Amino acid sequence: MLRIVLGRLMALSTIALAALGALPGVAHADAAHPVVALLPGVTDPFYFTMYHGAERAAKEEHVQLLFQVPKAWNTTEQVPILKALIAKHPDVLLVSPVDKQQMIAPLKEAADAGIKVITVDTFIGDGHYQTGKGDADFPLSYIASDNLEGGRVAARALAKAIGDKGTVYCEDNKPGISSTDARVQGFMDEMKKHPNIKVLETQYNEDDANRAAAHVAAVLARNPDLAGVFGANTFSGSGAAQGVKTAGKQGKVKVVVFDAVPGIDEKISSGLVDIAIAQRPYDMGYYAVKAAVDAIHGKKIPAYRSTGFVVLDKSNIDMPEMKVYIYSN
Amino acid sequence: MNDKRLDRLALVSKVWPWLFLGALLVFFEVWARISAHRSFIFNAYNLQSIGLAASAPLLLAIGQTFVIVTAGIDLSVGFVMGLAAVCVAQFTIPGGGSPWVLVLSIPLTILVCLIPGFVNGVLIARLGVPAFIGTLGMYGVARGAGFLAAGSGMTVAVDNAGLAWLGQGWTPVVLTAVLLAFMHFVLSQTKFGQYTYAIGGNPQSAVRAGINVRRHLFAIYLIAAAFAAIGGIVYTARFAAGAANAGEPMLLDSIAAVVIGGASLFGGTGTVIGTLIGSLIIAVIEFGLVFIDVNAFWQFIVVGVVIIVSVLIDQYKDRLGGAQ
Repeated sequence: MLRIVLGRLMALSTIALAALGALPGVAHADAAHPVVALLPGVTDPFYFTMYHGAERAAKEEHVQLLFQVPKAWNTTEQVPILKALIAKHPDVLLVSPVDKQQMIAPLKEAADAGIKVITVDTFIGDGHYQTGKGDADFPLSYIASDNLEGGRVAARALAKAIGDKGTVYCEDNKPGISSTDARVQGFMDEMKKHPNIKVLETQYNEDDANRAAAHVAAVLARNPDLAGVFGANTFSGSGAAQGVKTAGKQGKVKVVVFDAVPGIDEKISSGLVDIAIAQRPYDMGYYAVKAAVDAIHGKKIPAYRSTGFVVLDKSNIDMPEMKVYIYSN
Repeated sequence: MNDKRLDRLALVSKVWPWLFLGALLVFFEVWARISAHRSFIFNAYNLQSIGLAASAPLLLAIGQTFVIVTAGIDLSVGFVMGLAAVCVAQFTIPGGGSPWVLVLSIPLTILVCLIPGFVNGVLIARLGVPAFIGTLGMYGVARGAGFLAAGSGMTVAVDNAGLAWLGQGWTPVVLTAVLLAFMHFVLSQTKFGQYTYAIGGNPQSAVRAGINVRRHLFAIYLIAAAFAAIGGIVYTARFAAGAANAGEPMLLDSIAAVVIGGASLFGGTGTVIGTLIGSLIIAVIEFGLVFIDVNAFWQFIVVGVVIIVSVLIDQYKDRLGGAQ
C-alpha cells in the first residue's frame, strides 16, 4: 500500500515538474537584448489591448517583453508580482500602479535597483514626474488618456446628439477616483458652454450596474424630459443603458458610455448605447514600449504623453477601420 | 497492513509539504542557474521578497490554524485585516510623525478589531451558530466598517517614522517569525494547545474531560481577530497607507496555507509549522513563476493541485488508520 501511495506521489510530482519544465523559457537582460516588463493593474480587455500594442512595438524594436497581470485591482496583488519582476531586473518597467499613494515605495524599490520606471494609464503621487519635487517624481514618463479631455469629448458628442438642448446627468462609479473624477469634471466644464443644456446632480452607483439602472428610472420619474446620460465608466454606462431600455426610452434618451469594451459594437448597432468614447490602450502600450526603448538609448523622453480618444457611434461603428478601437482580450 | 508500514505512511503525509517545498526550490534554483546564470535562493532580495509575500497571509493563517484545528473556520479575518489597516492609519494621523503615537494607536487598533472576534465568539461559542455562517456575517460587517472608516477614498495615507520602521525591509518578516514561534509553542507545548486539539477531535469528550469548551472557543476567535489586526497594521506600515480591501485576497490564501500544511477542515489536526510551510509553498510558487516568466495564472492551477494532493494524502492516511 505504501508503495502504491509513494508511487502515485512520485508520478504526480513528476507530472507537475514536467508541466513546469515544458513552459517556455526566457532570455535575460543584457546590452544587446533589452528587456521591458509590462505590469498592468488587473486582468481586463483594456489592459490586454494595451499588451497587444506593446507587443507590436517590442517586435519592431527587437526588445523582449515580459507581461504579468494581477488577478485583482489591489496593492496586495500587484506588489508580489512587482517584486518578482524586480528580481528579473528588466531595463524598463511599464506599470499601471493600482494606488497613487501605496505604490510609491514599492516602485521606488525598482527605481533604486536601476530599473527605469514609466507609468501607463494610472500614476503615482500627482502624476507630475521629473520635477525634482516630492517623493513620487522618479518615474520617467506618464503615458495615458487625458481624462479631463475625455469628459469634454463626451460632453460635445452628447450635446450634438441631443440638438444642443435638454436635460442630462452623469452616472459615475464613486467619488475619489482620479480618472472618473476627471471625466465628470471635464463633462461639467464643457457643458457650461452649452447654456440650453441643464445638467442634474451626478449619481454614484459604486460600480453596480443594477444601481445605475435604478438611478436612471428615478431620474426619469422626476424629469420625464431627460435627454441624455453620460456613464463615466463601463458599469455606469451599461447600467444606464439598461435603465433607459427598461423605461422604454431607447433612442429618446441618448446614452454615452466611456470605454469601448468588447461587444460595444453590437450595443451601438442595436441602439442600446448611442455613443462610446474609446480610449486608446493599444497606443498606450505601443508608445510606452517606444518610450522605453528611447530611454534605454539614453534619449530624453517627455514626462507626459496623452494618447487621445475616438468617438464611436452608429455612423461609424460598421466601418472596418473602427474595429481596432474596440478593446479585445 | 502492519504497523510499521502505517508508521511510514504517516511519515510521508507529515513530510510531504517539506519535500514539495524542497522540490520547488530545487526546480527554480536549477532553472535560474541554467537560463539566467544566477541563484534563485542565495539572493537576499529574492528571499526577502518571498518572506514578505509569505508573511502577509501567514499572519492571518496563524490565527486561522487555531480556528481550523477546532473544526471551525473564520471567513472574517480578511476584512478585519482591512479594518485594522484603515484604523491604524486613522488613529496615527492625529499624532503627526512622532513614533510615540503608536503606543496608543496600535493597541487601540487591536482593541477595535477584537470586537468582530468577540462577536464571532458570542455567535459560535454561546449561540451555537455554525462558524461558516457566523463569520460570513462578520465578513460583511467588517468590510462595511472598514470602508466607512476609510471615508470617501478607499485608502488612508499616513506618514509616520515609527510605522515606516515597522514596515521596512526584513522587519515584517522577523515580526511574523517571532509571533509564529510563540504560537507554535502555544499550540504544541501548552495545555491551551492540548485543549484546542481536544475540542477539534471530539467536542463531547472534551466537555466530559472538564474543558470549558465555550470559553476556549471564545479565546480562539479573539486570537484569530488579533492576528488579523496585526496583519492590517503591518500592511499599513509597509505601504504608508491603509486600505479597506487590503486583506481581501489574503483570506483564501490563509485557508489554503493551513490546509496544505496538513490541517483537516474536520478539526483535530494541524500545526503552526505546517501552516508556515503551506504559505511558503504558495509564496515560492507565486514568486518563482513570475521569475521564470510563466503567466501568473498558472499559480492558481499549481496551488489548486497542491491543495487537492495534500487533502488526498490526508484521506489516505485516515482511511488506513480507520482500517487498522
